[in-house]
Amino acid sequence: MSSGYFNNIKEATVSLFNGFAITLSNMFRKPVTLQYPDKTPRSVTDLMPERSRSWLKVEMPICTACLNCEKACPIDCIKITTEKDPSGRVMSGFDIDMAKCMYCGLCTEPCPTGAIHFIPEFERASFSLDQMISRFVPEGEKVVPYKVPKKDKDEEKNSAKEEAEDKAAEAEPDA
Amino acid sequence: MGIQTEEMMLNMGPQHPSTHGVIRFVVKSDGEVMTEAVPDVGYLHRSIEKIGEICEYNGFMPYTDRADYLSAMNANQGYAMVVEKLLGLEIPERAEYLRVIAAELNRIISHILSLGAVAMDIGAATPFVLALKEREKVNDLMEALCGQRLTYSYVRIGGVSYDMPPGFIERSLKFLADFEPFMDEFENLVPENKIFIERTAGVGVITREDAIAYNLVGPNLRASGVDWDLRRDMTYSVYPKLQFEVPVGVGSQGVVGDSFDRFIVRIKEIKQSISLLKQCFAQIPEGDFLGEIPRVMKPAVGECYVRTESSRGDMGYYLISDGSKNAFRVRIRTGSFTSMSIIEKISRGMMLADLVTFIASLDVVAPEIDR
Repeated sequence: MSSGYFNNIKEATVSLFNGFAITLSNMFRKPVTLQYPDKTPRSVTDLMPERSRSWLKVEMPICTACLNCEKACPIDCIKITTEKDPSGRVMSGFDIDMAKCMYCGLCTEPCPTGAIHFIPEFERASFSLDQMISRFVPEGEKVVPYKVPKKDKDEEKNSAKEEAEDKAAEAEPDA
Repeated sequence: MGIQTEEMMLNMGPQHPSTHGVIRFVVKSDGEVMTEAVPDVGYLHRSIEKIGEICEYNGFMPYTDRADYLSAMNANQGYAMVVEKLLGLEIPERAEYLRVIAAELNRIISHILSLGAVAMDIGAATPFVLALKEREKVNDLMEALCGQRLTYSYVRIGGVSYDMPPGFIERSLKFLADFEPFMDEFENLVPENKIFIERTAGVGVITREDAIAYNLVGPNLRASGVDWDLRRDMTYSVYPKLQFEVPVGVGSQGVVGDSFDRFIVRIKEIKQSISLLKQCFAQIPEGDFLGEIPRVMKPAVGECYVRTESSRGDMGYYLISDGSKNAFRVRIRTGSFTSMSIIEKISRGMMLADLVTFIASLDVVAPEIDR
């Protein structure tokens, strides 16, 4: 009985010091933490990997206003408004509510020109929800959607064909 | 003359540091010894299943991350598999391998965090920090692979969203080479510690019969001595091509199915995952990472159920299609929910401090309970 008692104390002490030795050995290893934000070798956005899904950006000069991203978004945080103008169809607004966005990347996949994409910038916290809305079309201005040039005619044909197939699929009565 | 005592009702939670999220336990106790601890779930209900009926099939993928945020890849994989089964899609072999690689990496970090949390709840802070340190390394790998650190939404219906970045295999193998010595060190630090053994051995013993009767799944079931792993017994993806063992609780501290066994089973599973990952990296074929998928997903009318082995065990997705763009019903079956049901039975006559150990050793994740 008493030998068990002392054995317990011995085992506890030995295993405890074993643990302390491991903890102590960590003191002499290279630190794994990084001081943020001003002690990093390069700016933090440069350290992010290429695929980092941080903040959405739309390259307006190549946006075709196809609304694919708006349809793909599961939480409807993308809002595109188009108007009829004498010159044709124009975009009067392209807002992304980044406060709602869950950074899934589903909007970037169907984009035909790669206009909507992620940038490795994330330091954009703000005190009001209004400031979290990225407006890519300045208020009062209008942006003419990009048209795929003629040399990509084959691609266009393909996409037109696919669109036609889509329409056919939509028109099918539900089985 | 004895002190007059009476039974007291205590609220443990909803905000309690050791409940791993928002769960409430109604504890009836007389001093330190409980007569009952009834879990009260539902504080984290977010109607994920209902959202599945509003979203299109592809759009539900990010929500599956939120169903179990500690092993989002496994949750993604299960959902993708059920929709593919409904649509009758074949997916490229490289995509299957990429999914398994991601899922096994995720299993490692989910288990290592759980191990750290058990130690943390018992009162040892160091192992938790060490576990988080290793988890960050995998998070870096995941960020290079899919761009996110926690809610990956990497898997797509018909494949995965990205191929491996250049140098990913080398980086992963380097991580695994560093990780194996870490696991030895971790084993030396925690399960060989006398105080840890005293706190976990014989605490919260779940017998084999109880484990089956209460429908426990995953590591909790295996720790009770039931040799059942969906990856082997109801195999899916590329698991039939891989060699691995299924660790089962052996009762190294006297009783099979105590908290210590659950801890050891998770350690052994991490080692199996390391071996699985090495095999995957050696076998992965060239090819597409995303197969041919229909532009408009409209599965035929029907229903379908798919079970996968997630980090917390059997994760099942049940889907009913009415032929439209949205699912008619999405049902997610998770391991944490069933492990809550056994707490009431096991907690009778348990010390209050042991309840904390017991819950931690079940590896319960609150959002997975309620969904």
